[in-house]
Amino acid sequence: MRKELRYWAERLQERALAEGLTFPPVLFEEVGPEEMAMLAAYGGFPRRYPHWRWGSEYLRQREVYRYGLGRIYELVVNTRPVHAYLLKGNTLLAQKLVMAHVYAHADFFQNNLAFRPTPKDMLSEMAHHAAYVEKAMERHGARSVEEFLDMALSLENLIDPHAPYIQRPEEGEEERPKGRLPVRPYLDPYVNPPPEPPKEAEEGASPRPLPPKPTRDILGFLAWHAPLAPWQKGILEIIREESLYYAPQAATKILNEGWATYWHTKLLLPLLNPEEALEFAELQSGLLAAHGFNPYRLGYFLLQEVEERWDKGRFGPEYEALPLGERLRYERPAGEGRRKLFQVRTVHTDISFLEEFLTPEFALRQRLLAPEDLPRFAEAKQALLFRLTNLGYPIVELLDANHANRGELYLQHLYEGVELDLRKTRAVLENLRRLWGRPVHLKTVAAGKETVISVG
Amino acid sequence: MRPIERDLQRFKEIVRGEVKKRAREFLTREELLGQLEGRLVSIPLPQLEVPKIVYGEPLGEGPLGAGPGSEGLGPGGHIPVAELELEEFLDLVGEALRLPHLRPKGEGEVTEEALRYTTIARKGPRGLRHVRRTLKESLKRSLLSGHYREEDPRLVPEREDLRYKAPKTRPRPHAQAVVLFALDVSGSMREEELGLVKTLSFWITLWIRRHFPRLERRYLLHDAEAWEVPEEEFFRAREGGGTRLSSALLLAEEILKAYPEAFYNRYLYHFSDGENWQGDTPLALEALGRLLPGLALYGYAQVQGPYGQGRFLLEVEEAFGEREGLRAVEVRGREDLPLALRRLLGG
Repeated sequence: MRKELRYWAERLQERALAEGLTFPPVLFEEVGPEEMAMLAAYGGFPRRYPHWRWGSEYLRQREVYRYGLGRIYELVVNTRPVHAYLLKGNTLLAQKLVMAHVYAHADFFQNNLAFRPTPKDMLSEMAHHAAYVEKAMERHGARSVEEFLDMALSLENLIDPHAPYIQRPEEGEEERPKGRLPVRPYLDPYVNPPPEPPKEAEEGASPRPLPPKPTRDILGFLAWHAPLAPWQKGILEIIREESLYYAPQAATKILNEGWATYWHTKLLLPLLNPEEALEFAELQSGLLAAHGFNPYRLGYFLLQEVEERWDKGRFGPEYEALPLGERLRYERPAGEGRRKLFQVRTVHTDISFLEEFLTPEFALRQRLLAPEDLPRFAEAKQALLFRLTNLGYPIVELLDANHANRGELYLQHLYEGVELDLRKTRAVLENLRRLWGRPVHLKTVAAGKETVISVG
Repeated sequence: MRPIERDLQRFKEIVRGEVKKRAREFLTREELLGQLEGRLVSIPLPQLEVPKIVYGEPLGEGPLGAGPGSEGLGPGGHIPVAELELEEFLDLVGEALRLPHLRPKGEGEVTEEALRYTTIARKGPRGLRHVRRTLKESLKRSLLSGHYREEDPRLVPEREDLRYKAPKTRPRPHAQAVVLFALDVSGSMREEELGLVKTLSFWITLWIRRHFPRLERRYLLHDAEAWEVPEEEFFRAREGGGTRLSSALLLAEEILKAYPEAFYNRYLYHFSDGENWQGDTPLALEALGRLLPGLALYGYAQVQGPYGQGRFLLEVEEAFGEREGLRAVEVRGREDLPLALRRLLGG
């Protein structure tokens, strides 16, 4: 890294630490647009398993840059140490802004609860996954592995984002006899024979449902129970693990970007010289532009609102009891803003953040809402929260893997008023059927009526 | 190869496969027609999307701003749109439809000066500096002057050592061609037939231009008389009087005088419903007889009009039979297009 950048990185780091941010070491690297496009296509990592969709995304990113439709200023990856990439050729001010932004992301990754279960050595995990898939391709043919990947990737969103928080007994542990003797794998079936299959009578006596409880972790279920070759199961686990890795990032986009924007502003403003002020204003207004849904904008202004409210004592039962008009003017010296912000950063995801702090007052002040629409505020907020639920995907559960006692899969879409794209859903169910090897059913609502889509 | 390049290659390979698989579909896709003039062709390929269980209706903008929708996990989430160079796209479609490759015939070649950076000069712009040659000169000089020491083989090029890549002009053979489209606009040609003609002439133009980058195009309309129009007026539906196919052929003969056979590959395409005035047919065949030897190809496409079948196709076949440089086909509907196109291009 250039000396000048290193100097600024150190200064910004000092300032961030002094303000109370805590983060692991951050490694900055300047990269050219081609490499940035590659990293973006690979989801921030220098190595991913072979698949054409990375190529497609890479092409798109390159084109976007070439035609000046947008540029990625920065990429930051939740690893330990944190890796952050800066686009070569940006102005010094832009790089400073990005570095300050990155330190706040690093703090968020380290402290936000949603990231607790995330493995921190994802760099090598991703490389392992790449090696695993490459090896599978060598052994079983690139095309058949690719075909399997295509199929499995269509199930990529059928995970339980909460799975990493749930403590489960090891799958199948209770079936394993206690005194297992450690031997080489090929001797294992002889030294440690599998338990006798249950007698027919017993089987009837204790029907154990599969899965024991409805599960959203359909990828996991398939990886453990589907009649697949070991390499195929391995690939399912890889896809599941990578999905779970990205899930908290998607679930905290607004808060995380808001947090980083809040801090780059705080850290950088006092350091600006007059020439830089104008450029900063331009960058900032681009970042906070009001067209469409802008997580930077919403997150940033909502965090500012939280800070102001807790500084001015606009919270607590006394405040809550006031009518809307008086709330806007209420003030008592509290000075709790900063403390509250850190708490918000630690405990919230986008949904709970908006649920708790997106108030009619905020919506009015930010002109998210016209005053005459105020009666519809609750409804509009519900709609926004719904769009964020489950990362914007419909929630689908696996109810029964032995439906009608024929080993068929029975899934259910938890219908919340919005119907599924039937063409795509059907295509996914086809894939699921091929993986499971038996017919698959999905209960949902289509054209206003409860329906079961079956693929057999 | 960097892994991302490998993924990119694979993606392109899949796209090429898709384009070939869907070549027939592209052939009849109207919206492609206007768009292909540019250098790049964008082809939406929803087949290349990994399907997911998603909501049917987009979770659009609410009053509080739109949510992230189904952008979902990780990167991506868009429908792949493949962008191909026009040439590559044409080659793939051509391969899938087995379109014949056109060969410039005989003398019809002109030359064009082309710059090639094939020589070395002592002066030049910095960007064209030839590093290896420069170092070679430097090495020579240091060897000759005895300054070269093996234990410290550093070379410091001096001004006189600098070498640059330099251009040399080289004549490049260049074939040129002219294509004439003649369209019968008598009362019996309708929108639907015109659509087929439009599709055919569009692909014919692209394919000929694929082989002859210097291509001139002329457009004729005729009913009982023939007249020339600019390209954009060629496909406006209109109804005229009766039909004299000879009028178009005679006008074509006239126009082609400006394109001597020795320098041009000359193509003439004629679209009609084949219902000619009885007395005109001998005249038309006679004109055609004069034209044929000087043409790379005469293509006659007869579309079926609403009033039954015209006879000119049969009459042409009777008069000239199967011969190189003459292709007469019948087009009854869209499904005939691939074969008709192949035939009209000489396949």
